[in-house]
Amino acid sequence: MRKIFPSDLLARDERFVRLSTEERFSDPRSPGSRSGGRGATRLTPARADAPDAARTLMHGIFMGEVQALEGAGRTCWDFDTGTGAQDAPFELKLDMARQCWDEARHTEISVKLMDWMGTELGEFSESTFLYEAACNPDPVLRLTGVNRALEGLAIDVFNTMKEFGDVAGDPVLEFCEDWMLADEVTHVKMGSDWLRRLTEHDKERRERALEFQRVVDKLFSLGGFRGEDEDSPVRLARRFRELAGFDTAEMDELAEISRQAKADAEAMRARLAAQTSN
Amino acid sequence: MADPKKARAPFAPWDRRELPGAFSVEESARRVGHYKWIEMKLFEALGGWVATVPELDVKMRLGTHCYHHAWHADLWHKRLPELREMNQDRLTVPPNEEMVAFVDALTEPEAPDTTIEKLVGVYRVLIPHMIAAYTYHLNNTSTITDAPTIRSLKFALQDEFEDWRDGEMLIQSLLETDAEVDRAAAHQARLEKLLLAAGGIAGPGTIGSSYATSREEVPA
Repeated sequence: MRKIFPSDLLARDERFVRLSTEERFSDPRSPGSRSGGRGATRLTPARADAPDAARTLMHGIFMGEVQALEGAGRTCWDFDTGTGAQDAPFELKLDMARQCWDEARHTEISVKLMDWMGTELGEFSESTFLYEAACNPDPVLRLTGVNRALEGLAIDVFNTMKEFGDVAGDPVLEFCEDWMLADEVTHVKMGSDWLRRLTEHDKERRERALEFQRVVDKLFSLGGFRGEDEDSPVRLARRFRELAGFDTAEMDELAEISRQAKADAEAMRARLAAQTSN
Repeated sequence: MADPKKARAPFAPWDRRELPGAFSVEESARRVGHYKWIEMKLFEALGGWVATVPELDVKMRLGTHCYHHAWHADLWHKRLPELREMNQDRLTVPPNEEMVAFVDALTEPEAPDTTIEKLVGVYRVLIPHMIAAYTYHLNNTSTITDAPTIRSLKFALQDEFEDWRDGEMLIQSLLETDAEVDRAAAHQARLEKLLLAAGGIAGPGTIGSSYATSREEVPA
């Protein structure tokens, strides 16, 4: 088995439909898509399309869990065990193995929840850009991109879904999301702790890792999909992020990245609308 | 209750634990180092394979089992200094080159249509050998002096038995044709021969010798 497994080879059964990132962002049904649509809005039971939007998000969560499982597993395999610059310490690998178990459970929970919410495996498409962040050949950058940026996003998503379950009167959804949220806080804290430990004497590497995190964060802000505005589909969960090792300045920066992504998406939609009307 | 000052036997009548055991501190540490090495190789491989198997149920099981073996590796990692092995890396090694060849062959399958080979290597070859080695250690070490190792062996064995059953059932659910049965058997035989050459997960003497006629002849 090779080291660093390419995203286009991720193994799936016949039910799964894979789209490129370009195709996904061009789909007007995608939140924050740049080819039109209404843009991203907050998920509330009052929305006419709330059941479909919740099912879409649930399927997205499921695919995210599958890829997070695959990414954590690859971190166990891709690096030699040791303390060299390109190695992963034994204890880091133990954390990644633990994360494998957690993500496997989250995948199981997501399958059950999809059934509960009336969608099924493969009903919506998959793109692999989450796993792609887990292919970084530097273990510190990989962990920062995955455990701080992506698992951080998972905190925001699970908190949003938990709140949706609460206001929608769905105790099963709320219960499950709360349990997964607890695990995600642990995963983000792992990322924060390992970033600090592995770059304690290498400030330049720490800055590269944080820059990679910013790139991933921007990509996953998805045209304002995650933010702090009243209508943001996914709200920044500051309290849980703080538990996971984020400081206020980092969260302010993340909110700014999200605002910028939303402004960019709105400008893009306006340009496309103008082109269409001409 | 009887008079609290009345003398009682230090060992209760039902406590039949004994002092002697087959392993010295050094021998126990050597074995534990080999256990840690193979548990590490196993959890790394299981983690790596998750992305390569298309079957969702298998993917999720591999992710779960990956952690079990990482936890066992950690148990052995923590036991080594207690066995006077302060440099844990020194004994975290394979018993011989043949064991390395076995692990190389075990982890060779990658293609999405080789799930049978991946599972057979782990659940029909390696894990049964781990169960054998751990059981031998459990049944031969001193039940008093080596109690911490025994406790870890019991935890590990509980996982190994359950994981073996999970894996075996997955294999049975995947085998649908005579040709697939042949594939599974051929891969099992290939790996079994490599592990035979290694002498087991802790090298020759992993499970003692059934041809030794007295306790003194049992290789440690």
